[in-house]
Amino acid sequence: MKGRGLNIALCLYVGLIFIFVFAPIIFSLIFSFNSQRFPTIPLGEFSTEWYVKIFNDEDVWKAVRNSVIVSSSTAVLATILGFCTAYSDFRYNFRFKGPYLALILLPPTIPLIIMALAMLAWLSRIGMSGQLWSIILAHSVLTAPFAMAIIRLRLHQMDPDLEAAAWNLGGTEWQAMRHVIVPFCAPAIVSALCLTAAVSFDEFAVAWFVSGLNKTVPIVILEIVQGNIDPTVNAIGTFVFLTSMTLVVLAQVIFLSRQIKSHS
Amino acid sequence: MAKDPKSNQKHYLRRDVLRLGGGVALSTPFVSRAWAQTTEINMLAWYGHGEPDIVGAFEEANNVKFVPKYYAGGDNMLALIAQSPPGTYDIILSDAEFVQQLNLAGYIEEMDANDYPFDDMLHEDFTKFPGHWDGDTLFSMMVRCGHLGVSYNTTAMSAEEASSYDGFWKPELAGKVGHFDWHLPNLGMMSLLNGNSAGLWDLSDDQWAAVQEKTMSLRTQVGGFFDYGGTFNGMKNGEMLAMCGIGDWITGALERDGAPVASVIPKEGGIQWTESYCIGKGTDKADIVKTFIQYMLSPEGQTKSAQMLAYPGFAITKAGRAMLQDVDPAEAKRSHQIDGMVNEPIALIDDGRIHYRDIPQQQSLEDWNDFWSEYKNA
Amino acid sequence: MKGQLKFDVYALTWRLPIILWQLLFFVGPVVYMIVISLFVVKNYRMTEAFELVNWARMLTRGYFWDSYAYTLFIASLSATIAMVVAFPAAWTLAFRATEAQRRWAVFLLIIPFFTSYLVRTFSWYVILAESGVLNAMLGYVGLGPFKMLNTHFGTLIGYLTLTLPLAVILQTVTMANIDKTLIEAARNLGCKPFATIWRVVLPLSKTGFIVAALFCFILAFGDFVAPFYLGGSQEPTLPILILDTTKSGQQWPRAAVVAIMMMATLFTVAFTAIALAYRTPKGAKA
Repeated sequence: MKGRGLNIALCLYVGLIFIFVFAPIIFSLIFSFNSQRFPTIPLGEFSTEWYVKIFNDEDVWKAVRNSVIVSSSTAVLATILGFCTAYSDFRYNFRFKGPYLALILLPPTIPLIIMALAMLAWLSRIGMSGQLWSIILAHSVLTAPFAMAIIRLRLHQMDPDLEAAAWNLGGTEWQAMRHVIVPFCAPAIVSALCLTAAVSFDEFAVAWFVSGLNKTVPIVILEIVQGNIDPTVNAIGTFVFLTSMTLVVLAQVIFLSRQIKSHS
Repeated sequence: MAKDPKSNQKHYLRRDVLRLGGGVALSTPFVSRAWAQTTEINMLAWYGHGEPDIVGAFEEANNVKFVPKYYAGGDNMLALIAQSPPGTYDIILSDAEFVQQLNLAGYIEEMDANDYPFDDMLHEDFTKFPGHWDGDTLFSMMVRCGHLGVSYNTTAMSAEEASSYDGFWKPELAGKVGHFDWHLPNLGMMSLLNGNSAGLWDLSDDQWAAVQEKTMSLRTQVGGFFDYGGTFNGMKNGEMLAMCGIGDWITGALERDGAPVASVIPKEGGIQWTESYCIGKGTDKADIVKTFIQYMLSPEGQTKSAQMLAYPGFAITKAGRAMLQDVDPAEAKRSHQIDGMVNEPIALIDDGRIHYRDIPQQQSLEDWNDFWSEYKNA
Repeated sequence: MKGQLKFDVYALTWRLPIILWQLLFFVGPVVYMIVISLFVVKNYRMTEAFELVNWARMLTRGYFWDSYAYTLFIASLSATIAMVVAFPAAWTLAFRATEAQRRWAVFLLIIPFFTSYLVRTFSWYVILAESGVLNAMLGYVGLGPFKMLNTHFGTLIGYLTLTLPLAVILQTVTMANIDKTLIEAARNLGCKPFATIWRVVLPLSKTGFIVAALFCFILAFGDFVAPFYLGGSQEPTLPILILDTTKSGQQWPRAAVVAIMMMATLFTVAFTAIALAYRTPKGAKA
């Protein structure tokens, strides 16, 4: 039947799209265990030499340490900022609310390379360039919109009367916040933490510009790609993929996938 | 913890676990170094100079750790150093023609010529290399050099075709000629092709226009513009069959791995790149930096430099070359660093076939860089 | 309800942080970048000035406009391709898949979007090389080898890697939220399948699709990784130009000029797109 044929074709098409999207990740994983320096088919032998190499490389460990510090600090900062803004948007209507929201939502519309240049110039000017803090500051600006969007989505689901009910029962605004709003938003907050950490963990353009001599993992990857390319990139890449994927899956499982369900 | 026979067992196990855990932690390279309080030396250099094969032995012996920041091209180096606070870099590897810029901007310290083996140089020019000195004061110590010419894939081009820069225009190479993405060596080669020979960097307006025209005519052959990694890759996997703006420093590393590539000095002449170490201004580690520079000029350091994994260079001291021939005769032969061999580098310099790389005299670096951007967009 | 003169500490606690933070670390950098476009570089150091020389120099350069035109072209092309390639898949997920399948699909597609773009690009470099995986596989069937790297094709593949997941997700979510009864009504009125798509589904999805295309465009416009590593800088795009000017001689002011031109272009495109997206067609109900 024509309908059947079409259905199969469409399913194959979707499958192709998925293959295209996941191919680089899968190949990177395969190549990381491949002995060849410049992988091709037929593959070389199975080898863990690239993993051994990065495990013994002190610079990589230092970069991992930096990356963890940067992404966790960024996550915390971005989530706080996102929460404040989401709550303000949810609860209040005030003059200049439009520009207010634009302030947090604009950064993703500006290409990273431009943000990188601007951050570098500005942070150099105020003397805060070249340190881990520089990266954390820059990343918090870039990831806050994600946090804000997630938390705002969650607040959207909350019955606004809940807060009022808490006040009527004698609580102050602060108490209502602590006992009603925050617990309600908890899944969104955790989700935001995970997602912003993931974004920060992979970001290399801005980090490269403002980090000075401090390296995060993406910068190490960039340097390998710019320098003597070998499959250690794939080995590092595997770890990076695993970390990002875990964070994103967590974020979705905890919160987002429920949203997609309830909206359909 | 309650006092009973079981708790003693727990204590015993816990102590063991701690001991085991401590042992594992100490074996992680990162932690063991942290315990030892190593001095960190910030290095600004071309790719590969801070890697274990060069600095590893020195780091072990002197309890230091090099923290490298890599650049590609003198312009890039200047940009990086200008955007960092003074004193960021303790040691700077610079191309000879950029040392004066570093000095003018006040980024480097004076050096004492007596500290270094000037009496053991292979060529007289190296004892007073232009750019390293300001009058009689030494600002940068030459450490290695190499020659740029025609780099090609031996299966796609014959040695004869490669004996002239005209080889890049070979029709079969359309779309397979690559450029190392830095204007200076590329335009220098075009200048040599135009016959400017010794005055290749000192171009009048007419000569400069002629060089630009010549360069533009190559555009249809070009397959891409690459950074260090891309150049390396392109030649290795055969995407590019000829590369302009490089020399044995790229093909040598690939040749060592068995790739069918080579570099030759064409009849129009080749260009010499010269690297030297400077001591960063305001550093508090000048002594250890000096020791390192001396190490790089010792026979051991010179041999390591010639064998450098990232890219090979020539040893510049007699003792260095002697040790290289001793320790790695294959490499010495491959790079023609044996007296009397054909294409022996010092002989090439003496024959006038090598021209030291320099910055353009009558145009600014910006002018050349501007043209380079235009060329890329053509 | 809050007193006009009383400072609502509670409200301000939540409202102020983002204002201060963004002013300091977002507005500040952007404004400063506009300012430094007027500075002058002497001896590789940027000195404060108020001169238009950087603007004059950049905007009179042929290569700037060449690069501008090319970037505009290739970004638009890649956004178009991404939207077109994504459509059949998104349509399938929105109308033919069960809700659970759709959820899983979106769940999976979100993942690569948040993983390292750089490693994925390098992976493509290896796959597309002349002696790489794809050519080897095609070789078994007797095709090729094709030159895929250092071409516009390579650049496009890179852009697609960046934008395709996003395009599919946004299109799917948009179409899944269309009122199904409208489509049924069209069918009942005798509308053929393709016509249904053209005259019912697409117009109803207009807003979501325009936003999706806009983001694909923005992402491609600002990316330097794909054209540099997969396209061999053939030709260099504006982001590569920014990199080049920053790397050589500390020319931040000139890089800033390029950056400002890019931002101006993006804002123009964005405003036009949003206006188009939310405009109600003449004679139709809002």
